[in-house]
Amino acid sequence: MKPIASPDPPIGIPDFDLAGAGLAVEEIETSPCTRACPAGINVKSYVSLVGQHRFEEAMRVIRDTCPLPSVCGRVCTHPCEETCRLGETGEAVAIRALKRFVADRCHDLPPPATAPERSTPVAIVGSGPAGLTAAWDLRLMGYPVTVFEAEAEPGGMLRYGIAVYRLPRDVLRREIGQIEKTGVEIHANRRLGCDFTLESLFDEGYRAVLVATGGGHGRRLGLPGEAALLEVEDALAFLHRANEGDRKSPGKRVVVIGGGSTAIEAARTAVRLGAERVEILYRRSLAEMPASGEEIDEAIAEGVLLRYLVAPDRIIEDDGRLVGLRCLEVELGEADSSGRRRPVVIPGSEFDVAADRVLAAVGQVAELDFLPPRLLSRLDRRKGLAVDPATGMTELKGVFAAGDVVTGPATVAAAVGAGHDSARAIHRWIEGRATGGRETPSTAPEFGFWTAPPKRPERRHPPTRHPTGKLDFDEVELAFTEDDAVAEANRCLRCGPCDECHVCAPSCDHRHLRVESPSGGSLEVRAPASLVGRMPDDPVRTRISGVGRSVSSEAVDRAGESQFVLAPVRGHIETERCRACGACIEICPFTAIDLEARTAGSDPKARIDLPLCRGCELCTAVCPTGAAESMLRDASWWDARASEALASSEEGGAPTIVLACERRAAELKADGRRVIGLPCAGAVTGGRLLDLVGRGAGRIEVATCTSGSCRFVAGPELASAATEQARDLLGLMGLEARVQMEDKEVEHGDVH
Amino acid sequence: MVMFTELRKSTRAIMCMDCGKCSSACPLCGPGGVTPRRIVQGALRDFEGDTRGTRACLTCGACEERCPEGVKFIDFVRGLRELRPASRAACPHAETFQSLARSTIGPEPPRRDLSWIGPDLEVAETGKVALFVGCLPVFERYFEGNLPVQPLDIARSAIRIMNAAGTAPVVMTEERCCGHDLLWNGDETSFRALAEANAAAFAERGIEHVVTACSECARTLGLDYPEALPGLRLKVEHVSEYLARELEEGRIAFEGGEPQRITYQDPCRLARHHDVVEAPRSVFAALPATELREMKHAGRDATCCGTSGFIHCDAESRRLQSARLEEARETGAGFLVTACPKCLIHFSCAQAEDRRRGIEPAVRVKDFTVLAAERLVGDITPSKAASALAAGAVSGDSP
Repeated sequence: MKPIASPDPPIGIPDFDLAGAGLAVEEIETSPCTRACPAGINVKSYVSLVGQHRFEEAMRVIRDTCPLPSVCGRVCTHPCEETCRLGETGEAVAIRALKRFVADRCHDLPPPATAPERSTPVAIVGSGPAGLTAAWDLRLMGYPVTVFEAEAEPGGMLRYGIAVYRLPRDVLRREIGQIEKTGVEIHANRRLGCDFTLESLFDEGYRAVLVATGGGHGRRLGLPGEAALLEVEDALAFLHRANEGDRKSPGKRVVVIGGGSTAIEAARTAVRLGAERVEILYRRSLAEMPASGEEIDEAIAEGVLLRYLVAPDRIIEDDGRLVGLRCLEVELGEADSSGRRRPVVIPGSEFDVAADRVLAAVGQVAELDFLPPRLLSRLDRRKGLAVDPATGMTELKGVFAAGDVVTGPATVAAAVGAGHDSARAIHRWIEGRATGGRETPSTAPEFGFWTAPPKRPERRHPPTRHPTGKLDFDEVELAFTEDDAVAEANRCLRCGPCDECHVCAPSCDHRHLRVESPSGGSLEVRAPASLVGRMPDDPVRTRISGVGRSVSSEAVDRAGESQFVLAPVRGHIETERCRACGACIEICPFTAIDLEARTAGSDPKARIDLPLCRGCELCTAVCPTGAAESMLRDASWWDARASEALASSEEGGAPTIVLACERRAAELKADGRRVIGLPCAGAVTGGRLLDLVGRGAGRIEVATCTSGSCRFVAGPELASAATEQARDLLGLMGLEARVQMEDKEVEHGDVH
Repeated sequence: MVMFTELRKSTRAIMCMDCGKCSSACPLCGPGGVTPRRIVQGALRDFEGDTRGTRACLTCGACEERCPEGVKFIDFVRGLRELRPASRAACPHAETFQSLARSTIGPEPPRRDLSWIGPDLEVAETGKVALFVGCLPVFERYFEGNLPVQPLDIARSAIRIMNAAGTAPVVMTEERCCGHDLLWNGDETSFRALAEANAAAFAERGIEHVVTACSECARTLGLDYPEALPGLRLKVEHVSEYLARELEEGRIAFEGGEPQRITYQDPCRLARHHDVVEAPRSVFAALPATELREMKHAGRDATCCGTSGFIHCDAESRRLQSARLEEARETGAGFLVTACPKCLIHFSCAQAEDRRRGIEPAVRVKDFTVLAAERLVGDITPSKAASALAAGAVSGDSP
């Protein structure tokens, strides 16, 4: 998770001093996808930005917490999609493919600027995802960073363990190139323990060292005689060779043992290298396979055979040559410590599988020979390198460790997350702060959804390339088209109080926040510029509470309180007034409203599912009773804004009033127009327009976003309908000449 | 602008003995809810106090029927609304219709679109008798596609009835809103401006007699205009009064039609405010094959449709509508007839909500004027009407 709960600066943005301002910050609830991301990416935010065609901003949001968007967009196991609420009734949003689309499209977006240069260099050993992430984070904080890579090219498992048809090497090179552009130096062909040692790094002046050397070499099958046979091989070594361009056929009948990504990739690579029959043997069932569903489906489509609940028992050889494997059928017993059910052999179930090549993909053993002998002797190599969970440091002072070398084989996203943790830990240690430790788990509350997710269009799938004839090593899955990406992104429910598009942060003078005072009052805040600079980069997910006048002295003065809370604006139903007509349910673009009987037998009332509400206030515009209210806009809000906009000036004559959504209102105001800002121009009603006519407006313009870019989906259409209605009703009375009224779509920045 | 001391006296609020008889009649009265007694006693004790009741009051006048001291509750509430104005109209409907009404104020008169008057109807440019159309065209457009109502049919039916009685009414393009909703929402200034402009238009055209198919227009033109404009000489009739009189005078007659069983919603503005209770019933009695079955609460004792004008709507409105529709169902009638377009719209709205929840309405809501016009002697224009009657083709006998 992002370090919002911590008093330390989030990675990649300038320092802010909340404590100095007398403020404490806590997280408020976030969407399930963002919560699920091991790399801490704000998933909802970038999906929302893609839906608005704002691809570069989406790229920035992704890169805020992930320096490897193209990689993750291709190979991530997407735990976000597993938690997506749309999965409850249909298919999850294709989040991974959206990230790939953004990353491909904006791959040349320059990396963010680094913080002022620091004088304490950091060495990182290993250029896999954990090492590269830590390098990126530390570099952006201003540290001089050098990465040492044992192999000839950087990338670690990304380069040597992931098949090229899933992650083309030019893509990987490009992405690492972006990291190097920040000033990270990568030295290849430098192996820890051979070319340098931990001590020598400190001697050279590095203040801290991060060991991110990866999971090590493949584990043996543990069958008698396997070491003597060249045909029984570590699947990783096989992949490594193939990925480096070795196109020699592995054999005619290839058997792969294992169920993870490595097993699948070794099998698919073997198919590509001309093996006639490729079979994966896995000792658990399909449900337990760690490889992702897409990978498994693609492997099957390419002719790979999968056999479940099978374990190898011994090697069958003939004259020193491998001819097959004696296998046993197993069934699943009790769950083991990993939570998966342990395979139990079925006695008498032996059978033989013919093979002239066996590839073992059954886990990895850490390579830790570089460690001093006194430490090495105490380590269990099967468990990897231990770090202090509080500090992220190993037993060696100044030596940190992250990624597979600590956890054993894990996902790219987990490695990215570990990279962030290490970068923060190293930063804290160098700053001399021993406390704080690694990132604590998010304290953000869970959502309490109570409405069923709405129906959404069918999930779109990215195109795939199916070569006719022989399979090659070109990429199989391709990127979404722009139309498909936008459509897919707009299937997203944007669970949470706002869509976190961040449009409010840099450009908007109305931050859509409210100040809540402990005595129960609340009022609107126009966030002062000082707050924009000081707040965490994710204001909408942040609740700031504190004592003092530094957040918004104006707001505090108005509240007459010294304690306050900033929170997003959401809708509100005054149940006493609600007659359950359903108008709000129909209009809500986020299906956040439904009828609910408060007690059995009582009248149903509309209720807003707050985590889904994003405060567009369209419901307040259509509610026939005024029961749907905004937390900000009480009865006097419109009155005050209308009076203010129509207040007499030196112009003379009937004034022109512009109604605009808040995205546009600031620009229009800066242009000197008389503007009434609404959360969405779609929240304007025929009644409000007529009210302005009745108050003497001579011309009314409704400035909306362009169709498709409205973050509340239907703003331009609703604004247009309201204008039409007002014009129509005036027309019936022959009063159309009383006012000029038009609605027009205005491109962002195209205000005149 | 009234002053509170004056208001207390003119409405006899100071005479309130706090007995609570009014509350026993109030349809809103419930535990902790709004009651006329609380509104009056509350305002007398603390003028700046809770205004919720003032906004929620239906001004239906049921309380006045019971008050032993003759307190004019609804005038008191109207005065309070003027003295303590709400910052904005309470709901989007109110905002739309009241804003549109306000837009018709100004030196430039409206030029109403009259294209809805078909060629089968006869209207006149000048004359002594006018039909005051009111908001009907606006409602037609506003609720189109949302509610199964055709308010303009009411206006057309009114012209047809007047044609049948041998009159081609004046329909004024410069007619402004009568001002009912603004007056009852406390905007007396706008109401007065509208009243003056309409009165001037009547005078300009030489109109002495105004007929309307709307109970609220009938009350406003008939009671509030003379009070606001003491010099005004104008005969105002709701279409039910017009029909009853024309029937009695033998200038109009009905014929045929399928047998129908109806029940009748007395609009508060017509029955209690204006004491028009018998006129619609005498029309029903004259309609062939028509049986009237009264609801439990009828005449001056009728309960409200849930909202007066478009002033205020909430869950309480919905409760009243459900209860009233249930009373109508209990009569076994096929039609719930009402003489006010607002009642028609409000009941239709409640039924539309029911339909969305899969509940099919037990009665059909129908406007009084439309019902009556359906059984007029067919194809009538003022010129034909006289000869048809003379030939004795029809009789006005009730079934």
